[in-house]
Amino acid sequence: MFFKLAIHNVRRSLRDYAIYFLTLTFGVCLFYVFNSIDSQQAMTSLNSNQKEIIQLLTSAIGYVSIFISFILGFLVVYSNRFLMKRRKKELGIYMLLGMDKGKISRILIVETLLIGIFSLGIGLAVGIFASQGLSAITAGIFEMDLSAFQFTFSLSAFYKTLLYFGIIFLIVMIFNTISISKYKLITLLQASRKNETFKVRNIWISITAFVISIACFAAAYYLVLTKGWESGGILLTCIILGCVGTLLFFFSLSGILLRVIKANKKLYYKGLNMFIFRQISSKINTAFISIGLICLMLFVTMVTFSAGISIAHASSQAVKSAAPYDLSITGYTQQDGTQAQSAERKNITESFDLQKQLDLYAKDYVEIAFYDTLLRMSDIPNLLPDVPSTAQNSYMRVISLSDYNHVLVSQGKEPISLGDYEFAINCNSYLVQPYYHMENNQSITLNNHEYQLGIHKILNETLYTEYSLIDTGTIIVPDTALTGFTPNSHVLNILYRQSDSDYAQEATEAFQNGISKKVQEQEYDQYHEYYQYTDKEGVYQSNVGTSVIVSFIAIYIGLVFLITCVAILALQQLAEASDNTVRYNLLRKLGADPKMIHHALFTQIAIYFAMPLLLAIIHTVVGIQFSSTIVQLFGSGTSILTMSLVTAGIMLVVYGGYFLATYWGCKGMIRPKKN
Amino acid sequence: MEPILNVSNIEKYYGNKGMVTKAVDNISFSVNKGELVGIMGASGSGKTTLLNCISTIDTVTSGHIYVNGKNITTMKSKQLSAFRREQLGFVFQDFNLLDTLTAYENIALALTIIKTPVKQIEAKVNYVAKALGISEILKKYPYQLSGGQKQRVACARAIITQPSLILADEPTGALDSKSARMLLESFETLNHDLSATILMVTHDAFTASYCHRILFIKDGKIFNELIRGNDTRKQFFDKIISVVTLLGGDNSNVF
Repeated sequence: MFFKLAIHNVRRSLRDYAIYFLTLTFGVCLFYVFNSIDSQQAMTSLNSNQKEIIQLLTSAIGYVSIFISFILGFLVVYSNRFLMKRRKKELGIYMLLGMDKGKISRILIVETLLIGIFSLGIGLAVGIFASQGLSAITAGIFEMDLSAFQFTFSLSAFYKTLLYFGIIFLIVMIFNTISISKYKLITLLQASRKNETFKVRNIWISITAFVISIACFAAAYYLVLTKGWESGGILLTCIILGCVGTLLFFFSLSGILLRVIKANKKLYYKGLNMFIFRQISSKINTAFISIGLICLMLFVTMVTFSAGISIAHASSQAVKSAAPYDLSITGYTQQDGTQAQSAERKNITESFDLQKQLDLYAKDYVEIAFYDTLLRMSDIPNLLPDVPSTAQNSYMRVISLSDYNHVLVSQGKEPISLGDYEFAINCNSYLVQPYYHMENNQSITLNNHEYQLGIHKILNETLYTEYSLIDTGTIIVPDTALTGFTPNSHVLNILYRQSDSDYAQEATEAFQNGISKKVQEQEYDQYHEYYQYTDKEGVYQSNVGTSVIVSFIAIYIGLVFLITCVAILALQQLAEASDNTVRYNLLRKLGADPKMIHHALFTQIAIYFAMPLLLAIIHTVVGIQFSSTIVQLFGSGTSILTMSLVTAGIMLVVYGGYFLATYWGCKGMIRPKKN
Repeated sequence: MEPILNVSNIEKYYGNKGMVTKAVDNISFSVNKGELVGIMGASGSGKTTLLNCISTIDTVTSGHIYVNGKNITTMKSKQLSAFRREQLGFVFQDFNLLDTLTAYENIALALTIIKTPVKQIEAKVNYVAKALGISEILKKYPYQLSGGQKQRVACARAIITQPSLILADEPTGALDSKSARMLLESFETLNHDLSATILMVTHDAFTASYCHRILFIKDGKIFNELIRGNDTRKQFFDKIISVVTLLGGDNSNVF
């Protein structure tokens, strides 16, 4: 009997709050999909380099999932409390009929169990299929062939999902049992006769709060855009100001809004407008905290989405300019100088005996030398007037003009020319470039000669293959300026004869073997004390790795935040609509036709959904301005605009979808019951 | 005198074959302009169903209802909304004021629904409020008002659109006797001064004694009709009580 009652109740709430259950199912599905990444088919055919990335991704998602489970747990507990509130009268009737609290708790436990099994079952089923889709996407990113399709199932992700959501539902059950034991019959029965203690706030309080909130925003925006990078404390201040401002904004909004609209009598006294605005303002009045929180969460969502996707995109773009050569081998000479000076000066090819490999594999190659200890950043104060003090003592690399031009020619670019006593600066780091003030004049001294800045702009070249754009400043001087100095490092840049990845792998291995064979030989003179090599393939893989990790996590967090926000908004509106059936019936009796009523409902839900979103968008615009500095670390070339458009697209689909579903749900609820 | 409302042979059945409940069973009557007519009957006699049919909230099974000569039983839903907002005013037992709106706005809402120009709204609301003695409370919210005040605000809302007919469903049901008296006096004001035609459903003899004419309903049929004529309210009240007793009203089956 109790079981029957529970099933009946679940079926009824499924109908009325379908959006909530869909969200729950969606949450379970997302949780499974992202946690099953390591066992997806695409991952089983990865090379070791890629496997490392996936391991990193898996553990990152593991940690993120704990956080995510808190968010989803909050959603479930909040919604459950919300639904319980609506059911007070029903519970009161059970009690009135003589059911004891233990039995009522048991009914609720059975209900929670049913809902849990229902959402977990469907969510996991959908998740298992969706993970095959994600697998295909990952395969696309790693450019893998998935012709032999294989259905995969991750047992660990399955158990993990069961465990996490099991705990969430257990908490809900405990929560319900506790709240039932606290309920008094009289309050339950009178719950529907809620004396709407509709507080009308003093308009001056609203105005004051509104002014303070605007001041908070102004201060936070100003600080974060001008001084946000200087210290964590300032950033924290901005965040606190933003949060306080947002809450105060929604606290004061209903009063202000109503005042403004009421002043426009033509608008206010038109159709059902009066009703709509009053409804909204009373709703914001009571729910300003949750609206504020939703606004902040939407802000986090949008910044995560756009910054995450931008970083991913930027990092895959940066790889093109970061790896101009198939292989770059760098050798560092001994730092004490004794042996280096006694030994014959050699370049990499000679030092490691690589001529044979070069003849076999290289279409073209160029060898360059760097002088690392001649100049410091503090030697060009006019060009770097406000470089942070910590960086002032760091050395700048020096390269000869002829080496520099060799590099340019090998990359198919025009060589540069400098006067006899002139120098130029190369820098490809987008983060550091803004620090250079190239319009100033500057002289440096080398070999007792003075050299003037010859080219008043930054040269933006990549001199050898590297993992990201990290050249913070290289000074180019005429060859004569360097006579008498010993280079600290040599770099051999190689372009292979063929560009396919199998050939590249073979060639890279040949060079690698050549070097290690030479190093192990007895007669190796150790002119180059240590060496490193960077190949294009490796750079690609690692950058793809960064893109994948960052974008997957951004999408994971973003989606969960987003569905949590919209689910809460939808739930509040649906509950509101079921409370309001009386009001809508009254409007109908007063002769408002269905069109007017639907319009009122639509406007009301639209404004309610739009408010937190609009403020969040304003926050996001500022947040993106700020975070674009981080994105530039990973390379430029991407306009954050395109990524914002992608974000806007995702937001539009999810937010719009929930909005429409809510509207249709509410419309169904207020439809007059036919006899 | 022309009838505002003409109900002819209407029936309303609930249920399906085998189990049919005749809530309204072949009722005919008419209400003339300027009348204050009451419908009395015990619980379940069909009086509320009758009112719902007249107010177009419910549909009849057979028969016709004419308001101002127009047959409302054949109207489409859009026409019905228009008809309701232009021709009818409502007063409910539980006031049905919107708690988020002030008294003024509750009254004005009826006007904005029929698209009254903004400029006319204020004057109209103030005029009606003055007639009903609620000018002082227009700025208050329903939760700040007493039951009687709320019901008078509801009356103001019903009359403000100058409907052909005001339908009142147990208007004094939730009021104490003093408030009920004040409300009924308001009804008389509406009826006399603002020449409103009122059809009121009640089971309370005291409330009914304010009417010009009373229809008694039992088991879905008109059982009796009382006309006040030149009786005082006291005399009329005694007549009503005797009919109620005859009808087997509220108390007759107890002993």
